Amino acid sequence: MQPVSPTAPALVISGLSKKYPNGTQALHQINLEIPRGMFGLLGPNGAGKSTLMRTLATLQDADTGSARLGDLDMLRDKRAVRQVLGYLPQSFGVYPYISAIDMLDHFARLKGIHHTGERKAMVEALLRQTNLWEVRNRQVGKYSGGMKQRFGIAQALLGNPQLIIVDEPTAGLDPAERNRFHNLLSEIGENIIVILSTHIVEDVSDLCEQMAIIHRGEVLVTGIPQELIAGAAGWVWETVVPKDQLQAHQQQYNVISSRHFGGNIVVRVWADTQPDTHFSPASGRLEDIYFARIKERETAQAAATA
Amino acid sequence: MFREIFLFEIGYRLRRPATYIYLGLYLLVGFLWGMLISGAAGPEAAGSFSGGGKGVYNSAYTIHFSLLALGQYAIFAVAAFMGVAVNRDFEYQAHELFFTRPVTKAGYLGGRYLGSLIFALAVMVVIAVGLQLAYMSPWATAEKLGPFNLSFYLVPLLLHLVPFTVITGTVFFATVSLTRNNLFIYLNAILLLVLFTTASGLSSQLDNKTLASLLDPTGGTAFQTLTENWTSAERNTQTLPLTAMTVGNQLIWLGVALLVALFTYLRFQMNYATESRPLLSRTAQTIKLIGDTVTLQRVSLPSVSQQFGLREHFRLLGLLTGRALREILRSPIFWVITGIGVLFMIMIYFVSGLVYETPTRPVTYQILGLLSSNFTLFILAIMVFYTGEQIWKERTHDVSQLYDTLPMPVWITLTARFVAMIGVLCVLMTILMVTGMIIQVGNGFFQLDPGQYITELFGLRMLGFIETLGLFFFIQILSNNKYLGFFLSVLVYLAFWTLLPAVGIEDRLWRLGSAPQTLYSDMNGFGHFIGPYLTYRAYWGALTVALLILAGGLWVRGTEDDLRSRWARLRVYIRGSRAVQAGLGVSLAIFLGMGGYIFYNTHVLNPFYTSRDYQRMQAEFEKTYKRYEHTPQPRITSVRLRVDLRPEVRAFSASGTYVLRNKHPFAVDTVIINYNSDLTLHQLQFSRPADRVLADTVNGLLIYRLAQPLAAGDSLEMQFEESLTYQGFSNSGGGSSLVYNGTFLNYTYFPTLGYNSDAELLDPDLRKKYNLPAKPRMSLIDDTLAVKSNLLGAAADWIRFEAAVGTAPDQIAVAPGYLTREWTDGGRRWFHYQMDVPMIHFYSIVSARYAVKQDTWQAPDGRTINLEIYHHPSHTWNLDRMMDGMKQSLAYYTEAFGPYQHRQVRILEFPRYAGFAQSFANTIPYSESVGFIANVGKNDVDYPFYITCHEVAHQWWAHQVVGGKVQGFQFLSETMSQYAALMVMEKNFGKENMDKFLELEMQNYLQGRTGERIAETPVLLSENQPYIHYNKGSVVMYALQDYLGEDTLNAALKRYVSKVKFQEPPYTTTREWMQYVSAVTPDSLRGVLTDLLETITLYENTADSATYVEQDGRYKVSFTVKSRKLRMIHDDESEVPINDYIDIGVFGQEKQDGKWVDKVLYLQKHKITTPEQRIEVWVDAKPEKAGIDPWHKLVDRKPADNTAITRPAKIP
Repeated sequence: MQPVSPTAPALVISGLSKKYPNGTQALHQINLEIPRGMFGLLGPNGAGKSTLMRTLATLQDADTGSARLGDLDMLRDKRAVRQVLGYLPQSFGVYPYISAIDMLDHFARLKGIHHTGERKAMVEALLRQTNLWEVRNRQVGKYSGGMKQRFGIAQALLGNPQLIIVDEPTAGLDPAERNRFHNLLSEIGENIIVILSTHIVEDVSDLCEQMAIIHRGEVLVTGIPQELIAGAAGWVWETVVPKDQLQAHQQQYNVISSRHFGGNIVVRVWADTQPDTHFSPASGRLEDIYFARIKERETAQAAATA
Repeated sequence: MFREIFLFEIGYRLRRPATYIYLGLYLLVGFLWGMLISGAAGPEAAGSFSGGGKGVYNSAYTIHFSLLALGQYAIFAVAAFMGVAVNRDFEYQAHELFFTRPVTKAGYLGGRYLGSLIFALAVMVVIAVGLQLAYMSPWATAEKLGPFNLSFYLVPLLLHLVPFTVITGTVFFATVSLTRNNLFIYLNAILLLVLFTTASGLSSQLDNKTLASLLDPTGGTAFQTLTENWTSAERNTQTLPLTAMTVGNQLIWLGVALLVALFTYLRFQMNYATESRPLLSRTAQTIKLIGDTVTLQRVSLPSVSQQFGLREHFRLLGLLTGRALREILRSPIFWVITGIGVLFMIMIYFVSGLVYETPTRPVTYQILGLLSSNFTLFILAIMVFYTGEQIWKERTHDVSQLYDTLPMPVWITLTARFVAMIGVLCVLMTILMVTGMIIQVGNGFFQLDPGQYITELFGLRMLGFIETLGLFFFIQILSNNKYLGFFLSVLVYLAFWTLLPAVGIEDRLWRLGSAPQTLYSDMNGFGHFIGPYLTYRAYWGALTVALLILAGGLWVRGTEDDLRSRWARLRVYIRGSRAVQAGLGVSLAIFLGMGGYIFYNTHVLNPFYTSRDYQRMQAEFEKTYKRYEHTPQPRITSVRLRVDLRPEVRAFSASGTYVLRNKHPFAVDTVIINYNSDLTLHQLQFSRPADRVLADTVNGLLIYRLAQPLAAGDSLEMQFEESLTYQGFSNSGGGSSLVYNGTFLNYTYFPTLGYNSDAELLDPDLRKKYNLPAKPRMSLIDDTLAVKSNLLGAAADWIRFEAAVGTAPDQIAVAPGYLTREWTDGGRRWFHYQMDVPMIHFYSIVSARYAVKQDTWQAPDGRTINLEIYHHPSHTWNLDRMMDGMKQSLAYYTEAFGPYQHRQVRILEFPRYAGFAQSFANTIPYSESVGFIANVGKNDVDYPFYITCHEVAHQWWAHQVVGGKVQGFQFLSETMSQYAALMVMEKNFGKENMDKFLELEMQNYLQGRTGERIAETPVLLSENQPYIHYNKGSVVMYALQDYLGEDTLNAALKRYVSKVKFQEPPYTTTREWMQYVSAVTPDSLRGVLTDLLETITLYENTADSATYVEQDGRYKVSFTVKSRKLRMIHDDESEVPINDYIDIGVFGQEKQDGKWVDKVLYLQKHKITTPEQRIEVWVDAKPEKAGIDPWHKLVDRKPADNTAITRPAKIP
């Protein structure tokens, strides 16, 4: 990787809003500061993550607000953004009947890498890095899901991207693939901005230095995963109850998650003091913050509309 | 399971907006078409579909025809409904859901198929509904509508449209089910459409009609074949009969559809997903490998430099253009379409360019003509299809999110794809050029003209195609849906190229992409057409550039494609870029500038009139000046002209002196001058004082009052000076009479006398529209006033003529008369011609760079007649045939009709802007396209010879015998010339070779009468009806000489000619002609004259069940002949008893020069008195066919079934 100046500018998003023609408020007054390194954007499906990603990737326009990468006005100077952008969409296709190496080489040219030697070296390095070198002459269209996803990251790394946006990259990958992918991302993320959008909490807690939770187009939480987890200490309580008591618990306590465990249900509750004697304190996880904040917001909204 | 899927499909369709869009669109198409044919756009547009005249606008025929025509274009909707049915599941990956449920294959396919088919059929129904709505709308002309009749709609729907939908729909369904590729559907649709169109085109040939009818899945050919001889009355009320041809044709194709469906069922795989299993297992291994190396590798990528400058942009442009071009050229579909196109072009070559079924030489313009009519369809198909593919490439393959974030401006992608498509066009043009040359060389034609190919294909046509391409790009990008884009492209193309002119929008300024045609002539090259053409191309080209620049802003980049955000981005695109603003500004400025320049030329320098304007002007002219129709006028008795042609600049100036003589028994004080208003009349004066009392320079009409009336029998001189120059160009591109090489002016370029009633509107519907009184098409034969004028009007009878014509130094100018002097004056070459006998007031002035072929013919009285052909130097192929035609004609006519009045016959070639030959006194201008390039094979009709004979015959029939301008006058000129030419043909080629020609004439007559707008007349009373006086005339005159005997008939004709030739008014009529012919007709044949000449009589002669038995080397042939005789009185055909002598013939075959030809074994006239009878005759050789009227001497409604193949009888 070409060394990038340690003072690589941060990405500052302020007041970003977007409403779709069908009335959906996809983004509402988003304010974020995304520094160099891996940044995790966590949220349930339909939270507005992809809208935000696509807006940053110049594929959509915002209604109001701004996004600046250093001096660069990302919403206006799209061409300049594209020159420093690496983008891996949530899903993408490839041209038919074209091999991985040809398509990557083609995209490299389109990304302005005109020097043949440099381009060849880069394409080869990327294919090796993503472990596609052995299958480089196979048609991309016939790749499996994981291979295609790695091809996707290879094309996103072409050139000298300063901003890499990956949208739900590990969906559909098996654990080994995911592991591999994380490794690659975190290596890249050392010097530039990498925004990782996902609904998988582990992806963020494992990889990201900074994160934000986004829900219904609004930012609920921003921070460093470890600090957020530390902040949850003393708030999470756990108990095991028979199935028939789940509903009663849900009504009585602030239940943030529940899962089956050996025929019974493990119920986790968010509270500042021990809710009841049969609850024992549990160590806080990022997941708990995620569910707690979302639940908090849902409850607040339900109260507001009631 | 079938039921669920079927209902699911219907429910799905009903929820889709696309369903309503398609149904709405086709309802609209039906409605708009209905408006057009029900008179909303004027009677002439409507009349052209309903046959005009007595045809009602909602006749059974018109409805059937309309539904057939529109139904074909519904093929796109059928494709959309049927093709997407199965593929939708694959596209949205829903097939796994469906296939994992307990769905049977039959249930799945059947449900989908029928559920979709219902909607495809609904499209056909809404077209019919739209049509009927238009008929019921207030814009329809109520008095031209018959009563509503449901069966008029049901018959075409059930007989043709439903089977057509099922057939094409099944093919689409099968294609997509089996290939799982949407791409093929629209390709299929376009291909099928082209195939059908071409199949219909081919079927217009005579012999293969039954086969073509059976093979054409649209049913259109069967429809055309069955209805082609229908009269207006039949068209109005008769629905298509269920015959073997109509039903058989549909059964064949439904059978094919069934086979396709069965094949689809058998081949369709429900377990689609399992196909990729082997691939998955291999991937699993790869994953393990990755797993092993996870912690070992460090990410290290080489450093690269990125450049985004203008230079790099152009490198990318080149790169992307090359890729797109390669991609198209490597696609099999491209070569399939092109290959089929080329094959069709070659096939069409063999059946087109035929005159009397005789091919023409494959001169380059002829080959290029094939392109415009046929291959253009394929080029358009390729343009529409690949424009869609190119513009939708990223989104089709879901690469757009990757592609759209690349640091590359849109214009590179757009331009690259546009240039690539231009490259595709270049490839197509090259293929055309090579194919054309191969056709030429393959036909032994070696005068290859690459220059003309390149100019025409890579220059003129290419410009037009590029503009169309730009339009398709714009439509495709704007519509933002590939299939809608396809549909709109076709729709817009049809609308601008065919619909607008049909509804009266003729101004090219509004007709996108329109330009005046450039007609190449071997003689005149591209002539003066090229300048206006290029001006229009620049005009539309500038608009295309503007549209393409806009397309760059409309291009959807990113994931938002709603209208609001596209509009917002377009505004940013225009506001944010100086280059875009400049580009739009400059291109729109050029567009407006060129538009202004064109407007200046077509509306200011030249008056702009639509055909409707002309009609209005005609009507007004009639209303204003009709009162002068019978104002007594002197007649021209002498014409002296001095014409200074300037072909180099397309101009001439002329002066002339006429002698006018008062032939009335009373004094005349008014002289009405009418002249072609394109001319400038500088001066006009009489040899005695006269006052101009009216001057209408718009219509070209002047009225003078003589100070002292011209006494009976007295004469005066009239002198005039005039000139003609063309200012700029007009909407039609400019006249083609006065050209650089091959000028052909006639007497209408010089002033004449009196009100010209030929300029009046004739069509009864139009006369009604402009409140003009009904007008008989022709004066009645008994009109004693009309009979005092000849076919050219009342201006003159016989004139003395001389003309001095100056022209370019390298051209020869010719006018009637004999060359008395040739000189050069001021660098101009001058010729003086003088006629030494009286001639009719009908002359031409021709000038071109000619080569001259000369010969002579000795008349029986010892005179030497000079024969000359003035031709384009390279057009030498048929000069001998023409020369031979002149000699044989002169010989036959002198013998049959009396002496030739001149000392010379000249044929003069003129450019192909008109395709006729015309006989002036001793002078016959002859178009380069009708005889000079004929390629007459051994068994072809030698039409250069034939046309020559016809034109030479006019020297007797029109130049000696001139009929009064009443019913039947063209019988005396055209029918008699046809007859004369036929007899020379028979002498030259033999009786047995006349059949082919006569059958064609019969066919043309039968077809001609279906288009009759007023009323059919007997041949002796024909009223300027070419199908009667040419086509029926040939048939009946040939029959007449067969019944009366050639010599007997000719003797009567000779007596007639000597009686009436060069007569002063009143002129002769067919009534007088008939007296001479009656005089030589025995009573037993009196009925023949009635049948052939005096009435409209048609036969339906048929032969069948022909068998033979051999006995001692002789053959007894027996066969059944049926004969019906129909007479048409007041548009009503009724059967009359038969009691006629009709040819009965038996034919064998013999080999002549290696080819089998018919040999007459028996040919006798039998008296036929019963509608059906068995005939037995003995012949000496093995019979092949037998029948009644085998040589088509009688007018027969179905000429093809007169003979039957003879088969050996089964001996009991």
